[in-house]
Amino acid sequence: MEEFFQQLTNGLAVGGIYALIALGYTMVYGVLKLINFAHGDLFALGAYLGLTLLTSLGLNSRVGPLAGLALLVVFVTGLVALAGALLERAAYRPLRQSPRLSAVVSALGASIFIQNTIMLIYGSKIHVYPKGILPAVAVNIFGLQVPLVRILVFVVSLLLMAALFAFIQKTRLGTAIRAVAIDQDAARLMGINVDQVIMIVFLIGPGLGGVAGLLVGLYYGQVNFTMGWIYGLKAFTAAILGGIGNIPGAMLGGLILGVIEALGAAYVSVAWKDAIAFLVLIVILIARPKGLLGERVADKI
Amino acid sequence: MNRRMWGIIAFVAAMAAVPFCLNPYQVDVFNNIGLYALLALSLNIILGDAGMYNMGHAAFYAVGAYTAAFLNTQLGIGILWTLPISGILAGLVGLVLARPVIHLRGDYLLIVTVGVGEIVRIALINNVFGVTGGPNGIFGIARPVFFGFKIAKPHEFFFLIWGFVALTVLLFSSLKNSRFGRALDYLREDHVAAEGSGIDTARYQLLAFMLGAAWAGMAGCLYASKMSIISPESFNFWESVVIFIIVILGGSGNIAGVILGAFLIVGLPELFREFKAFSQARMWFFGLAMMIMMVFRTEGILPPRPRVFKDIDRNVS
Amino acid sequence: MGMKRMLLWGCALMCTVLGMGTAWAAEPIRIGLMAPVTGAWASEGEEMRNIVNLLAEELNAQGGLLGRKIEVVLEDDGGDPRTASLAAQRLATQGIVAVVGTYGSSVTEASQSIYDEASILQIATGSTSIRLSEKNLKYFFRTCPRDDDQGRVAAQTIQKMGFKKVAILHDNTSYAKGLADESQALLKKSGIKVVFFDALTPGERDFTAILTKMKSADPEVIFFTGYYPELGLILRQKKEINWTIPVVGGDATNNPDLVKIAGKDAAEGYYFVSPPIPKDLPYEKTRAFLKNYGDKYNGAVPGSIWAVLAGDAFLSITDAIKATESTDVNKMAQYLHKSEHKTSGLTGEIGFNAKGDRVGDVYRVYRVDAAGAFILQEQ
Repeated sequence: MEEFFQQLTNGLAVGGIYALIALGYTMVYGVLKLINFAHGDLFALGAYLGLTLLTSLGLNSRVGPLAGLALLVVFVTGLVALAGALLERAAYRPLRQSPRLSAVVSALGASIFIQNTIMLIYGSKIHVYPKGILPAVAVNIFGLQVPLVRILVFVVSLLLMAALFAFIQKTRLGTAIRAVAIDQDAARLMGINVDQVIMIVFLIGPGLGGVAGLLVGLYYGQVNFTMGWIYGLKAFTAAILGGIGNIPGAMLGGLILGVIEALGAAYVSVAWKDAIAFLVLIVILIARPKGLLGERVADKI
Repeated sequence: MNRRMWGIIAFVAAMAAVPFCLNPYQVDVFNNIGLYALLALSLNIILGDAGMYNMGHAAFYAVGAYTAAFLNTQLGIGILWTLPISGILAGLVGLVLARPVIHLRGDYLLIVTVGVGEIVRIALINNVFGVTGGPNGIFGIARPVFFGFKIAKPHEFFFLIWGFVALTVLLFSSLKNSRFGRALDYLREDHVAAEGSGIDTARYQLLAFMLGAAWAGMAGCLYASKMSIISPESFNFWESVVIFIIVILGGSGNIAGVILGAFLIVGLPELFREFKAFSQARMWFFGLAMMIMMVFRTEGILPPRPRVFKDIDRNVS
Repeated sequence: MGMKRMLLWGCALMCTVLGMGTAWAAEPIRIGLMAPVTGAWASEGEEMRNIVNLLAEELNAQGGLLGRKIEVVLEDDGGDPRTASLAAQRLATQGIVAVVGTYGSSVTEASQSIYDEASILQIATGSTSIRLSEKNLKYFFRTCPRDDDQGRVAAQTIQKMGFKKVAILHDNTSYAKGLADESQALLKKSGIKVVFFDALTPGERDFTAILTKMKSADPEVIFFTGYYPELGLILRQKKEINWTIPVVGGDATNNPDLVKIAGKDAAEGYYFVSPPIPKDLPYEKTRAFLKNYGDKYNGAVPGSIWAVLAGDAFLSITDAIKATESTDVNKMAQYLHKSEHKTSGLTGEIGFNAKGDRVGDVYRVYRVDAAGAFILQEQ
């Protein structure tokens, strides 16, 4: 039983990271119906930018650990958000009126492009974050060993999800985003600047991805240029599982995916865990074709 | 129509000259292009013609390749004889897997096919049923023998692969103008209306999926015979993505476009190989080129022309 | 209809550009180098290239071979079998007499038959999979040892340390699975229980689920056969949950970055078996070479023994050319196969057996100390 709970916490911690990346994924999808395959690579970009700020600029040693960390989050979020907005302008906006899959291929091209940009700048070697920025201690919760950072990652994901949800539901801008998500033309007629709203979505989504990249870098301590691909795919899976376009769905999907992986590894086989996760996903989608929290909308009547 | 015919003739003539004026490496590049063209043509039936998002096509490619390899190395069946068996088995696997998920829409189907692709790959790596050889794969696949003639060199494979491509193009283009092709057009453009007009959409979708999977299986058989060793890493997610890109970038639904897509996606990175100074930046340029091509030709490079029916044509003119 | 023309132009353009590569004069002796310059193993490929280029430069400074200069022709295999088969086809058309490479076993395997059919001598550098040399290929050699060697040394090490229950973890790559299978068989034979045998997914970052599962199987030691990026994280995460079980690993974990990823405190006490790391090579020739290497490449030291073995492959080829005074592949292969032939290489004397495998005991045992240095253990 203790092992079960230990695996559950392992899964929730990993799932928290998936959820964090899935938030950005689902947000972009909700508005543009675009699977932004470059999202994972923007996440990797966040991890690398964080590394540069920490090591080359010595951010941490100049302003002290806590302020340094806060500055780090602000800078990385800002820079990756900027990269996301740039990407939208250059590679997605010209494709907004074209067949949906054209934009997907453009996104795949962007993914290769960003990944190789990182490789050309930083080289193909694995890079390592400086140690000791986040405390490496484990907390004892009901007899379980849980590293403090895992709790932190989990809480940060949860907070960001809640903030994002409140923003979308309660603010004027959030309402505009929802309007654009439902019908761009109608939103335009209501006086909403659609281009601007989409730009904002592309600032928030990739920005969140950047934070996730930074957290992964800080926690696992190791970054490489291909890391975006594997996390991007997991996050996409999580977003679909929860019902893509739905913000609490992304959170739920991420956590469930993490838990399935951990339990699959524990009770079936580590080598088969990804297959098990996909199998569960397929079964869930057969039962609920729009994901767990996705609304059932009639296709076209 | 006339210029179109001339274009095709010129293309075929140029292709026929390839094995006689190029060196083995260059011919091998064309062989790879041919294999991807086959895979993309088979995906085009599913993605371009029937409009089902499939990003796990490598699964069927793998089933075909492993079937051929297993039958050849274990039972000693000539690799070309396994071609139809590979196709049938891959088609059946496609049918069984597609049956429960065919009603899923768009991106949900896309992630399911991604999942299917990954499940197949993981099963291969974990030596499922003890026949796939695990991460090592299957090696020692015999060279194909065609009426007593052993095919081993790139020049010889060129005729096998591109011959099969030509056959596929002939078959698929006549299929496009059949009842089947028209039904797919209809259900892709308007699913509900198609169903309303009495088209059994689920049946046609399944048929399209099966046909595409079967053809990918046969491409897998050719791949196994060419490489003489196959391993799971040759059928990873990225492989499915590449086939997907070829179809969309070339012009989904158009046979000429899909073939052109194969030339660009497989050929371009090889062209960059020539410029040694850029060898590291090969994929960087490739990604950039993909975005630029999509932005400037948003429907793909050679999108299909809208279907024009002859008698209507006559009435108008 | 403009599209048709575009398509034709495209083909024509491709033919011409592809054609350019072949229009070179063939005066120098050309030796191919097939290495993963891009892809996941790009850092290995870079070091391979640097080492072979430097050796060729040194040789050319002494006047080359048979009065001719040596020219190294590099092709990128991308660390992937399909790219490798194209790279091999391409090298085969460029008039090379022999080829050095490559790193990954499955990558080498995809190129073997192409070189064999083209009668080109191939010396692989990091491909340790057993079956590569079991195919009776006349022109295939390798400067690295085989997985069964490594499995034997690893099993002996674990046995000598007195452990009775082992957890084996691999990563489902051809190499790691082979080593895991090999060692499992040997360990079981000597009465040691294997209580856990499973594979992680390379490229992932979180291995806590695996660690938790392994812990409940209650082993006395973990034997890991995969690569250093994953092991670094495993050591680190193992430390985080305060699990103090010793870990022994294979030679793919022999990389200085391991300690950087894991952190010194988590890496301390980790054992691995591997051919000696470059700085422990006790030969005068090697020391001189490493110094030149540092001078040329901004003070860098080759971190990977596999890249050094690429240097040895190059030296074996040039030695064969010199000794046989020819570039005839049959004469060279015959010379290298002879048991009395010994090339003085960077990792000691190099000789090959009839299968083309390197002879002699290459494996050593290392331990990571508190400062994160790899310390050679007494035999």
